[in-house]
Amino acid sequence: MKLKQLMYLVLAIGIISSIAIVYFYLIQKDFTKQHREFLLSVNALENAHLDLEHQILQNSIYSYTNQDKIASAMIKTEERYNSLTKFEILNNPTYKDTKKNIHSLQKNLNQNLKNIEDYIMLNAGIKNSLVFLNRHIEKASYLIEKDRELFIQASKIIKHFNDARRVQDLDYINRDNFLLNSKSNNAKTQSFIDGFNLHSKYLVKRYPIFLKTTKTILNNDIHILIERLKQKFSSSAMSDFKALDIFAFTLFSVFISSLFLIVILFLNYLKENKKLKETTASLKHSLSYDHLTDLHNRRAFESNLLKISKPHLLILNIDGFKYINDIYGNDVGNIILQELAQILKDKFSSRENACLYRLGGDEFGVLFNNISDENAYEIAKELVNKIINHNFIVYDLTLHLMVSVASNSIVPILENADLTLKVLKKDYTQRVLQYHNNLNLQTDVKENMNTIELIKAAVDDDKIIPYFQPIINLKTSKIEKYEALVRIKLKDGTLLSPYKFLDISKKTSYYHFITKTMIEKTLKMAKEFPQYRFSINISMIDILDTKLTHILFTSLDANQDIAKRLDIELLESEDIHNLAAVKDFITKLHAFGSKILIDDFGTGYSNFSYFSDLDIDLVKIDGSIVSEIETDNRKLHMLTSIHKFSNGMNMKNVAEFVETREVALLLKEIGVEYAQGYYFSQPLERPLENDEVTI
Amino acid sequence: MIKTLILLISLTLFASEPISPIPTNIKVNLAKAKLGKKLFCDTILSKDNSTACVSCHNLSKGGADSNVVSSGYAHNKGNIQSPTVFNSRYNFKQFWNGRAGNLTEQADGPINNPDEHNMDPQTIEERVNNSQEYKKLFKEVYSTSYITYKQVLESIVEFENALTTPNSRFDKFLRDEIQLTKDEKDGYIIFKQYGCITCHNGINIGGNSFQKMGTFLDYEMQDDYPDRSKITKNPNHKNVFKVPTLRNISKTAPYFHDGSAKNLKEALTIMAKHNLGIKFETEEVEKIISFLKTLDGEQPKILEEI
Repeated sequence: MKLKQLMYLVLAIGIISSIAIVYFYLIQKDFTKQHREFLLSVNALENAHLDLEHQILQNSIYSYTNQDKIASAMIKTEERYNSLTKFEILNNPTYKDTKKNIHSLQKNLNQNLKNIEDYIMLNAGIKNSLVFLNRHIEKASYLIEKDRELFIQASKIIKHFNDARRVQDLDYINRDNFLLNSKSNNAKTQSFIDGFNLHSKYLVKRYPIFLKTTKTILNNDIHILIERLKQKFSSSAMSDFKALDIFAFTLFSVFISSLFLIVILFLNYLKENKKLKETTASLKHSLSYDHLTDLHNRRAFESNLLKISKPHLLILNIDGFKYINDIYGNDVGNIILQELAQILKDKFSSRENACLYRLGGDEFGVLFNNISDENAYEIAKELVNKIINHNFIVYDLTLHLMVSVASNSIVPILENADLTLKVLKKDYTQRVLQYHNNLNLQTDVKENMNTIELIKAAVDDDKIIPYFQPIINLKTSKIEKYEALVRIKLKDGTLLSPYKFLDISKKTSYYHFITKTMIEKTLKMAKEFPQYRFSINISMIDILDTKLTHILFTSLDANQDIAKRLDIELLESEDIHNLAAVKDFITKLHAFGSKILIDDFGTGYSNFSYFSDLDIDLVKIDGSIVSEIETDNRKLHMLTSIHKFSNGMNMKNVAEFVETREVALLLKEIGVEYAQGYYFSQPLERPLENDEVTI
Repeated sequence: MIKTLILLISLTLFASEPISPIPTNIKVNLAKAKLGKKLFCDTILSKDNSTACVSCHNLSKGGADSNVVSSGYAHNKGNIQSPTVFNSRYNFKQFWNGRAGNLTEQADGPINNPDEHNMDPQTIEERVNNSQEYKKLFKEVYSTSYITYKQVLESIVEFENALTTPNSRFDKFLRDEIQLTKDEKDGYIIFKQYGCITCHNGINIGGNSFQKMGTFLDYEMQDDYPDRSKITKNPNHKNVFKVPTLRNISKTAPYFHDGSAKNLKEALTIMAKHNLGIKFETEEVEKIISFLKTLDGEQPKILEEI
């Protein structure tokens, strides 16, 4: 998603620049504020200074004033100056010159304040002296008569002093004539002269200094310096403002361009997103729809099943669809599937509570919600009729289909329906079947699964073991042979009989292993007991299992002395398909000296024709006949017939299931050669050392 | 309209009077000032617990010392007469030579002076922080658990700010509330006519400028006196001092920086001779003194409270 990343980048730039704009605004605001405040502060200083000058002027005009005002104006000027130096803006290098100006202003200000202090000191004396002289002459008015000349001289001098003070010009004072020279005998007059001269001298001496100080104060450069300070600051600030302007413009352009870019990128993004959505939608469709029939697929079925409160499923399967594909090709098969899907769509598209699925190759599902079993059954039947009567026209072919429909509403929905379908496939009389618990299909399956698990465990733990049942020669009353019977030893020590697992094992690869184990273990036992013969049960599957026959013949070849004592019992209950293979098998065994026995004769596929084709040595009469010869005459007759036939064919008989002494005696009387059964012994873990038996 | 005009004119006239009365409605943080009062009177602010602010600024004697020079740490003598602490907030600068710009700077001076309190801020902080009483009082005023030297000074200054003596007869006269007696009035006129007013003006009738002691006739000079020249380094400023206030002057004898005048008569004679270049008639002296006595104000309110 390069586009997306780019968008985020531009967005980030936009956000950063807008933040920067806000930041800039704050800086600018702060800057403007400081700038304004600084100028205000300079103005305040200027005003304070003007006020101070004003106070000084006032003070110099009046004889006496309230000097508090001067003192406070001085303090104010100092304060204003101090606050000016504290401005942070001055630390900025841009305002270095302004800072310098402030420093030079400080020198002048300090000097000015010192001068004012001096001025006040001088002023006091001069004013007091002037006031004194004026009062002095007033008090001495008696001189007008007594010493008129002295009075006039004194008055003149005072006038000069007053003029000089009024116009602030030293030239009004006659420097050669400011003292009263005459001496008087009159103590009062002399006192007048002394007092006059004291102050006159003081004035002449101090007045020039006073005037100079006053002029210095009033003609100082402070105004010019402040004006210069303002100008310098404003021009520095101007360049700062310019820089801020440029910065603001740049920021704004970045912001606008990122905004523009975002819009373009966003439009692009929308376009791509639309494409993506389309792709996603088609992918989604293919995830839940079958591409051939455009019905929902199995995946969709599984998820939809969970959403339905009262599901009912019909599974429809084409009978022998494999052959259509094989004969006409997949093209035709696919077209038929599509056409069948169309039939389903036509039939169910108007129903709101039905949804169609293609569950597998030729398996379709109709999933209903909330429908009665009866209703579903009727629908299924209608559907089957419709399909059976439909002409499937593919290219120039016209085909007819048979279909089976299983109906189920009991959880697990799909599994039960599948099982029902399997049952249905075995029974061609009906085409629609409703699942019900009595079918017990489910428990069978469960048991089968458990048994397979047991077999697997037994194979893994070497618990497939042979048990040996003695076979007695009825004439000699001696054990001549042991039949090896397969058992599975369970974990709790109990034994599992073959009828519980052997049939199931035939459908698995374990069967091969079981037979192989039986051969190996029986051979081992035969080696231990050379006085006995042994027999092993072999089925048609074993004979056709070339791997197994190879193992068998190889081990017989390696143990030839045992081989001649090992007999093979062929299970008569099985139909012998491949006669040639059996013939070949028997021939090879005979070469080792083995004998061949037909097992369970008298039931199932009993077929006398075998005896004409196969070289059989012994016939074992089925237990269902043997156990009842004493009570059922017909069974007795069957047994004697088989015995006679066997003797005629030069074959000996073994009777199984001998459970009472009476049966054993009867068999002996008839002339049956061998017998086995619980009367003599149940199957044993090991053969007996003693071969004697009492009948 | 005419009324306002008359008021304005009278205000202008009033304002032109070189002496202004002490305001009667000053604002003071009373709790802080009371705390300051306690500190002002407490000797723990001196190293040997001998000296308090009040030792040299006797609150019952016009806020000044009746001795020529005060004794401080280890009975060491000061080098100048203690000026009054009353109305000191209206002085433009503090100390005789104006070396302190305000009362806080002033208060810091004697505390650290080896001949006065001989203390340092750290010891003061230790001492007040060890006192449960001060800790409680400061907590009430400052809501703090640690007392700083700055707060100590601030409290003392607040107390000093409360030490004003308003409603003197002269202030009342200025406010047109009473008439002065003939002698008092004559004394004031002489005070103005002879030029005393030139330096003694403003709210404190002094305390707003520096002047040389001995303008016309040189006054006895001692080199080690802490005069203005010690600050400005200007030789012309020898014997220059801050003009002292004349408020409550009748109560703050002895007079001048050196305490050389034991009473007002002597002080007036010296002033006339050295700073005015004249000689007062006996009658004039009496009249001036009766005027000066009108400057005695009310005892500061904060001292009335216990």
